[in-house]
Amino acid sequence: MLTEREAKKICDTLLKLTKADDAVVSVRESIEGNQRFAANAFTTNGSSRERAFSVTVWIDKRQGSASGTEFEEAALRRAVEQAENLAKLSPVDVEYVPTLSQQKYKPVNGFVSDSAEISPKWRAKQIGSVLDQCDEAKVVGAGLFRSGAFTSASATRHGNFEFERSSSASLSMTARTPDSTSSGYGLHSHFDSGKLDIRGVAQRAVDKALKGRDAQRLTPGVYPVILEPQAVGDILGFFRGAFTARNADEGRSPMSAPGGKTLLGQPVFDSKVNLYSDPWHPELPGSQSAQDGLPAEKLHLVRNGVVENLVCSRFWAQKTGKRPTPGPVNFILESGNKSHSLAEMIANSQRALLLTRLWYIRMVNPRTQLLTGLTRDGVWLVEDGKIKHAVKNFRFNQSVMQMLAPGNVEMVGQSERVGGDGGRGASLFPALKLKAFTFSSESDAV
Amino acid sequence: MTLSRRGFLKTTGVAAAGIAAARWSIDAAAYETWISSATKNELGDIAIALAKKLGATYGDIRINRYRTERISTRERQVQNVSLDQTFGFGVRVLVKGSWGFAASSEVTPKEVRRVTREAVDIARANAERQRKPVQFLDAPAMQGNWRSVFEQDPFEVSSQQKIETLLKINEAALAVKGVGFVNSSMAWVNEQKFYASTDGSRIEQYVIRGMPDFTVTAVDRAAGDFQTRNSLGGPQGMGYEYVRKHDWVKEAAQAGEEAVMKLKAKRITPGKYDLILHPSHLWLTIHESVGHSTELDRALWWEANYAGTSFLTPDKAGKLQFGAKHVNFFADRTQSAGLATVGYDDEGVPGQKWYLVKDGLFVDWQTTRDLAPLIGRTQSYGCLHAQSWSDVPFPRMPNVSLEPGKEDTSLDQLVADVDNGILIYGNGSFSIDQQRYNFQFGGQTFWEIKQGKITGMLRDVAYQSRTTDFWNSCDGLGGQSTYALGGALNDGKGEPPQSNAVSHGCPVARFRNVNVLNTDSKDGGAAGAHVC
Repeated sequence: MLTEREAKKICDTLLKLTKADDAVVSVRESIEGNQRFAANAFTTNGSSRERAFSVTVWIDKRQGSASGTEFEEAALRRAVEQAENLAKLSPVDVEYVPTLSQQKYKPVNGFVSDSAEISPKWRAKQIGSVLDQCDEAKVVGAGLFRSGAFTSASATRHGNFEFERSSSASLSMTARTPDSTSSGYGLHSHFDSGKLDIRGVAQRAVDKALKGRDAQRLTPGVYPVILEPQAVGDILGFFRGAFTARNADEGRSPMSAPGGKTLLGQPVFDSKVNLYSDPWHPELPGSQSAQDGLPAEKLHLVRNGVVENLVCSRFWAQKTGKRPTPGPVNFILESGNKSHSLAEMIANSQRALLLTRLWYIRMVNPRTQLLTGLTRDGVWLVEDGKIKHAVKNFRFNQSVMQMLAPGNVEMVGQSERVGGDGGRGASLFPALKLKAFTFSSESDAV
Repeated sequence: MTLSRRGFLKTTGVAAAGIAAARWSIDAAAYETWISSATKNELGDIAIALAKKLGATYGDIRINRYRTERISTRERQVQNVSLDQTFGFGVRVLVKGSWGFAASSEVTPKEVRRVTREAVDIARANAERQRKPVQFLDAPAMQGNWRSVFEQDPFEVSSQQKIETLLKINEAALAVKGVGFVNSSMAWVNEQKFYASTDGSRIEQYVIRGMPDFTVTAVDRAAGDFQTRNSLGGPQGMGYEYVRKHDWVKEAAQAGEEAVMKLKAKRITPGKYDLILHPSHLWLTIHESVGHSTELDRALWWEANYAGTSFLTPDKAGKLQFGAKHVNFFADRTQSAGLATVGYDDEGVPGQKWYLVKDGLFVDWQTTRDLAPLIGRTQSYGCLHAQSWSDVPFPRMPNVSLEPGKEDTSLDQLVADVDNGILIYGNGSFSIDQQRYNFQFGGQTFWEIKQGKITGMLRDVAYQSRTTDFWNSCDGLGGQSTYALGGALNDGKGEPPQSNAVSHGCPVARFRNVNVLNTDSKDGGAAGAHVC
């Protein structure tokens, strides 16, 4: 694995090779392994080691970048020269902000070496056990086990150097009944592979598939819903980009307001909504550095429903006289008050739909943050405080702004890790009980 | 052996030309000396011999270099100019009915041996617990050296020239009163691929793809509204001639006018409409509802955990009326300018053309060497592909296209037979369920049709339908003169997810009585949705 010393040496070499006025260079290494299974059998897999570098230079405030995976000095030199030549041909970068001088970072704890050293035999044994669970339950399983270690370092002409390691392991699984009438899903990811709940993931997928049989049709329309944490993660994954300060100031963001204003400081969301980033959260370590290597800090985007921060780039901060935003480096949603269990949410629902997961979500209207997508892997009707029966899937068309609006968020659960499989980043999200959620049509998909 | 850039410039005299200094041709030449075909073949021999010795019944090595040039601008400034490349190899083996794959960016004989052993170790570990051994078709040995068809290699055009073009595009859009912002970019991709296998195949391929692009934004600050209009061009399997052949500057001016017009356009009333879909829009509907539903790996539940399965189950081939009688879809890895056009796939099968839907009937699948035997076939259609040397190849979509009508029917002729309809250009929001039944698509511009005439612009339009209902409602196809290719560089599938570049050709086409939503309505586009 790439050491801090090796990384520093490569960065120093790249910086020495360039005569540019300013430069930022980086080196990264990923060591990854994955194994897929489907139709209750082993399918494809992969194990890869990749080391790569990049160099960005500014000459008379003109910028150029190059990157590569070959580390002989001639190759590094060639990349530096390419970046310099591009810079010489480019117009002046009017948004140039000098690279950072030496910064002080508070390390995060997101690396466990065991996660990088999982053997094919151990992995095959674990997946073999998962397939046994599928056989016993008479379902058809498909899934992905993935693990890896990631090292990155960067350095600037003005004296900054940072080095960071992280690790990850995840298992996701879909169980389908052989008659194709029901499916269920489970996913768990962690930076420490020892904490991965492999059996639990498979059991959740199997249970949902078995309980989702005999799904009945319901008329699409506006329903109260209980979104499980994965469904909340699926839909809010699209929301992170909504907090860009520049877009809001330019009038082309959901955070823009009529008359050229923004929604900063406004109670746009329900008071139970707190959205924040915390690099040192023990369950969701983020990166120690935010944009351009700025040391990351804990940062609230929304506190008690009020928009507390919009994310300001270093350039936009300089232009507007604001402080560049030291994040976000991860995404956490929590209630400011008491959290409720999923069982409490169900027990407190006269009539609602319980959703496992949402799929193929796309932005339809960026101004209102109207998203469309579909339910997947388990929908149930809750009536009089109890799950009554499974329901066929729906397409939804729902604005996130309306979904989290004051009065629409009735209950917030305990946050847990969601996502983090197949290259998608993990977040901490709770279950949400919402007063209204719009389903626009039925889907025959299972 | 290496050749320094300084040495190369000295020997070729290119340095004297000055502005050529940033051209990738320098790199290409250096690459040829960095690792020659002979060296790649030697590394291939090492991997193949070792894989066989370790018990692999099949093995291949891909030694690939990927170069990407990206330039992005906004308004009157350049935001980024970058030249990226990644070089490495991947070894895939089949041992006792299980796959093993390993890859590395360190391209040396020693590392090739280590990685080959690792791939075999993975396959052996899985074979101990494998329940359904992989069936794999034999294939003839291929020797080939294939280049995609292009007139001008974009990596031999200076970045300066590309920047000038992008800034001209921006100026054309900004010249329109009411346009607030414009972003434009170019991405050029070059794949240099080497493949060797235990079949005895040795194949080298050189592929060029390009994607100029722009987005124009008009803002109504008083109302807190904004509208965008994206380029309709999209990526193509073409060289830099694409920049000359498509009038990007003219289109940017038109896009500016249309973005401003969208702010004040008539809002759609939800309901049933006839749709006329332009190829710049329809390619994406084909991609999602036809391209993905005819992937055999999905039908066999291999993608059940992420991309999903397909409503087309194996028993439906030759039986299901997928679309109207005049609807014919073909798969084609030989199509000119196609993004998925190749000489050979990633397991040495030549590119070919075949029908997926013939006379409206679903007839065939997209297959690979380990999929085809599962439906009793003895040959693969050549659909295996990996996004990089570091990723395992798996079934990916070829170019899937809709045949034009036999008569050369024009757009105007199709519009003339519509009383209450919408003409849609460009791709917007898109979503489809995991079995490819229910879909929703937006677009870039929407034009109202009343009594056979286009009467003005509409906004906030999206349509929903069900795949077979939709294609059976197609009652008019434009002719060859309306046929065009659309496509994407980033079709996502698989776990970990991989991107695939793919094109879809189609004529303009007409569909009857399709459900249309208003995407700016308070009920989130669910017209008349009732509270349940």
